[in-house]
Amino acid sequence: MTIKRTSTLCRFLPKALLVGVAIVSAAGASFAAHADNIENFGTQSFAQIKSAYEGKPFVVSLWSIDCAPCRVELKMLGELKKNDPDFALVVISTDSIENREEAADILDSYELAGIKTWMFADAFVERLRYSVDPLWHGELPRSYFFKADHSFESHSGILTREQIGKYFPSIEQ
Amino acid sequence: MLPILGQAEPFMRIFPMTSRAFALLALFAWGFAAQSASAESCAELRELHGADIVSVHCGGAPSASFDAQGRLWVAFVQNKHVYVSHSDDKGASYSTPVRVNEEAEDTEFNGENRPKIIVAPQGEVMLSWTTKTSSNFTGLIRFSRSIDGGKTFEVPRTVNDDGLTTGHRFDSLFLSASGNLYLTWIDKRDMEASLAIGDAYPGAAIYYAVSKDFGKTFSSNYAVSQNSCECCRIAMAPQGDDNVAILWRQIYDSQIRDHAVAVLGPEGEVSGLDRATVDDWYIDACPHHGPSMVQAQDADQYHMAWFSAGDLHKGIYYARYDLGQADSNQLIEVDATPGAGHPSLAQHGDELLLAWKGFNGVATQLQVMSSKDDGKSWSPVQTVFNTEQASDHPLLISDGKAIYLSWSTAEFGYVFEELSHDN
Repeated sequence: MTIKRTSTLCRFLPKALLVGVAIVSAAGASFAAHADNIENFGTQSFAQIKSAYEGKPFVVSLWSIDCAPCRVELKMLGELKKNDPDFALVVISTDSIENREEAADILDSYELAGIKTWMFADAFVERLRYSVDPLWHGELPRSYFFKADHSFESHSGILTREQIGKYFPSIEQ
Repeated sequence: MLPILGQAEPFMRIFPMTSRAFALLALFAWGFAAQSASAESCAELRELHGADIVSVHCGGAPSASFDAQGRLWVAFVQNKHVYVSHSDDKGASYSTPVRVNEEAEDTEFNGENRPKIIVAPQGEVMLSWTTKTSSNFTGLIRFSRSIDGGKTFEVPRTVNDDGLTTGHRFDSLFLSASGNLYLTWIDKRDMEASLAIGDAYPGAAIYYAVSKDFGKTFSSNYAVSQNSCECCRIAMAPQGDDNVAILWRQIYDSQIRDHAVAVLGPEGEVSGLDRATVDDWYIDACPHHGPSMVQAQDADQYHMAWFSAGDLHKGIYYARYDLGQADSNQLIEVDATPGAGHPSLAQHGDELLLAWKGFNGVATQLQVMSSKDDGKSWSPVQTVFNTEQASDHPLLISDGKAIYLSWSTAEFGYVFEELSHDN
């Protein structure tokens, strides 16, 4: 495993474009009071995300600021999302939303700051993890492939392009 | 909603009471003389004293230890400072917190990263912690001490000696019977060196330094093992009067994150390095889930408790590690319930306790079981606390007379309660 360190954080997209991307995001957009596109993730959030993707397949990627392997996955997801803006991707940080600026900078460096993402907004993290999947132990990165009928498969560890290609053959890699 | 908890449930239906009173009742059911209610939630304290109050009940990721006189010392993080409080009544009341680092630092405080505190027999109050230096997993191993009984602290020092802006995190601190102070951590200097020449480097490395003068000076840094997992706390336990045994999550075959054990000596000697658990957890991820280890009655044997989601073992496990045989035995599945995690062990006399957190979808349960025969057989699991709010990892500590729970909770504040039966 090779970790690419991001020593400089670059900002690619102008603000107007960021907002534009948020509006067309599949999960439905709502304007936050913050400059970033990070939403509170509470106990009901995952159910809401699933409703927003009703009848549609999507991928969930859970990450945290403190997780080095997560950066490898975010980099790959950022590239996929850039190549294919229709890629149905839900990114959730398990850090407290109090750390949103740090998370936003990291997402920005992988060109994921333009899409709506979520951050844990309840210190009782066990309950939030349970709302995603009672069988998840909290290891990161953690990901889920939801099929159109919302049956799902889980994965712990860094996702590969091949795994995503298997579930989303149409995605432009 | 009332907390519902094991055997005491029918009683609860008749006599509703506060969660705190109920927690104490649960402790009583476990068989202890429950102490008077001491912990207060931070929310209550803030209402009384304002939002800025610095308190053991408000601070992040506390840890505790006893000094030779039986005084309890607690270190915690609040507003980018490490603070120290002490208690002469085993947690019923605490001294006004004293700030350790005058200058604010981005001090790590979470389940796997917390300030450590040890008081030497002669009274030096010694602390280590990790200070985060960027968003990219970099940090410094920091140390400070007080030589005036905790009134003032020396300006913190950085103990990692490579001068690199890379990962030095997940510190652990241990004082041997002979007075060698061991400070271990997870270090990424070797990963940097490998990446610089284009070689892949799974994980990080384990490093340590030793002080033979109670923190006045430290040795240079010594390497223990390459390719450790990069995100789990290191467990430490005595080995002889001079040495320390450590247990950590190690990467095997580039992909498996099980545990390794080694014995460290005061001159940088590393011996007995071996695999301690075989769970076959194939995962290219951060478990954020470190082990616990205490010495068994036979000084070459260790009680270990850990979490795995491996192919062979999923959940919390206990086993005994035999240093002489380089083998583990008495493997027990402690709790394979989803949500169970973060075990902590402590031994006093012939009583060995194991505490951990469970989660049932609504509430966190603080689970405890005990063994009177050095880990061969165990009592049924008892739930001693139940909370529907956030909580830290539970830690068990002993003062040589009893075993105590050290646990930071949103609902009860900082919980410090005796759990052992045989006092």
